[in-house]
Formats: sequence, C-alpha cells, structure tokens
Amino acid sequence: MSHKCDCGDAQDQIYQYLDAELDEETAASVRSHLDDCGGCHDSFDFYRRLKGVVRSHLAEDMPDSLEDKVKELIRHESATSA
Amino acid sequence: MADQANFERDALQYSRQLYSAAMRMARNPADAEDLVQETFLKAYRAYDTFEEGTNLKAWLYRILTNTYINKYRKESRRPSETDLGDVEDLYLYRRLGSEDTADVSRTTEDRVLDGLVESDIKAAVEELPENFRMPVLLADLEGFSYKEIAEILDIPIGTVMSRLHRGRKAMQKRLWEFASNRGLLPEDAERP
Repeated sequence: MSHKCDCGDAQDQIYQYLDAELDEETAASVRSHLDDCGGCHDSFDFYRRLKGVVRSHLAEDMPDSLEDKVKELIRHESATSA
Repeated sequence: MADQANFERDALQYSRQLYSAAMRMARNPADAEDLVQETFLKAYRAYDTFEEGTNLKAWLYRILTNTYINKYRKESRRPSETDLGDVEDLYLYRRLGSEDTADVSRTTEDRVLDGLVESDIKAAVEELPENFRMPVLLADLEGFSYKEIAEILDIPIGTVMSRLHRGRKAMQKRLWEFASNRGLLPEDAERP
C-alpha cells in the first residue's frame, strides 16, 4: 500500500462503503481506488465477508409456537377492546 | 392511518426478524419471547397511529427497542462507553497480518472467518454496552440504513455513525480474542 493511492481515505470509509451509505461520487472514487490497490481491495473483501458471517450467525430460529401466541394475544385484545 | 384489521397480515411477517433482534437484546429465549409478544401487543394497540405506506418494519423495531430499554435497562446497567477501550479501525484485519509484510494470507482469512463459531459472534455482540449494541444489531443483523437507525433509536445520525464505528471496533477486538483462543491465528500474529 502506498500513499499515492489514498489508502487512508479509502479505509476511513470502509464501513460506510460496505453499508452503501456513501454518496455516488464518493463511492465511485473508493471503487476506483479498490481496483488499483490490491492491499485495500483485500481488506475490503475481508470486511465484506466478515459482515456476512456476523449477519448469518446473529440470526435466530424463532420457536413456531411464538407466532401462534402473538396471534392469540392480538385476537384476545381485539375481542376485549371491541 | 392503518387499519387494525390488517395488522396480522401486515406486521406478523416481521416476527422472525424481530425475534432474532430480541434474542440479542434480552440474551435468553424466555425474555426474547416476552419482548416480541409485548412489542406486537403495543404495536397492535397503536396501529391506528401508524401512517400507512411509511416504514412498518422500522416502526416495529422502534417499539421493540423502546420496550427493551424500558423493561430491562432498570434491571441491568451495562458498562458505559468508556469501557469499550480504544482500538484502531481495521483492527482484526491488521492483527491477522504477519509482522514482516503486513500481508494477510487468504488461508488465514479463511481460517478465521470459517473458524469463528456462532457463539463467538453472538458473544462479541451481546457483550457490547447497550448504546453500541443496538446500532450494531440494527445495521449488521437487519441491514437498516443509518437514517433508519437514527429514527428507530431517536438519536442524531452522527451519533449512529460514531456508535456503530466504535461498537464494530470493539466487536473486532473481541473476535480477535476468540480467534486467538481457538488457535486460528498465524503463529507470528501480534498479541493485542
């Protein structure tokens, strides 16, 4: 990584870039930097993969009975408040 | 304004996602179930104040978050943000590199990303102080935009960004420790 490829700027914006929160112009300049800079490209790729791993591991299987309980609760509320 | 008669049809499709978030907030299935039920009941009662065509998912998360905060914050105060410590931005990635070249081999990356188990990731998020855990959950689990997170948590967007930034750095530090304990790191990887 060398200074001329603005690695610092790109890395400051890594999460905003991955979160799709940069305006189009800034995102384009980050993208073009990533095309030129192998080091930044690799680190962005790592964080993109990490984000996917985090997301998949945080999800939880809801017990099937819970949706029924919620429906029952709402129907009860609807009947008593009518 | 929304019609209560459509509530089940419109809102219940988000129950599985809300349950995942509730689990990461309450940290046990019994409380998470209570939280989801209470959220839907409150949402149902207030549904005639919900403006149809606006963001129903974000509205439900706002109720979930407020319910969690009101119910559990009194019971367990989490450490304040000063306890997060300070680490560099690309902490985890940099720590995976060898001392000589700072390059991270694809093998090391794969070993760490595949070797971190579900309980590591959950613990790294659940251990975050509440102020930081909420933005991280809403962004990384649910994929809400910064603007939506600001609305859900009722905080300025700049605060969302800084909490997300610090929360994710703290999470990386914890993941590094898990990876280290599991022997996933190269032998010359720097100790924290």
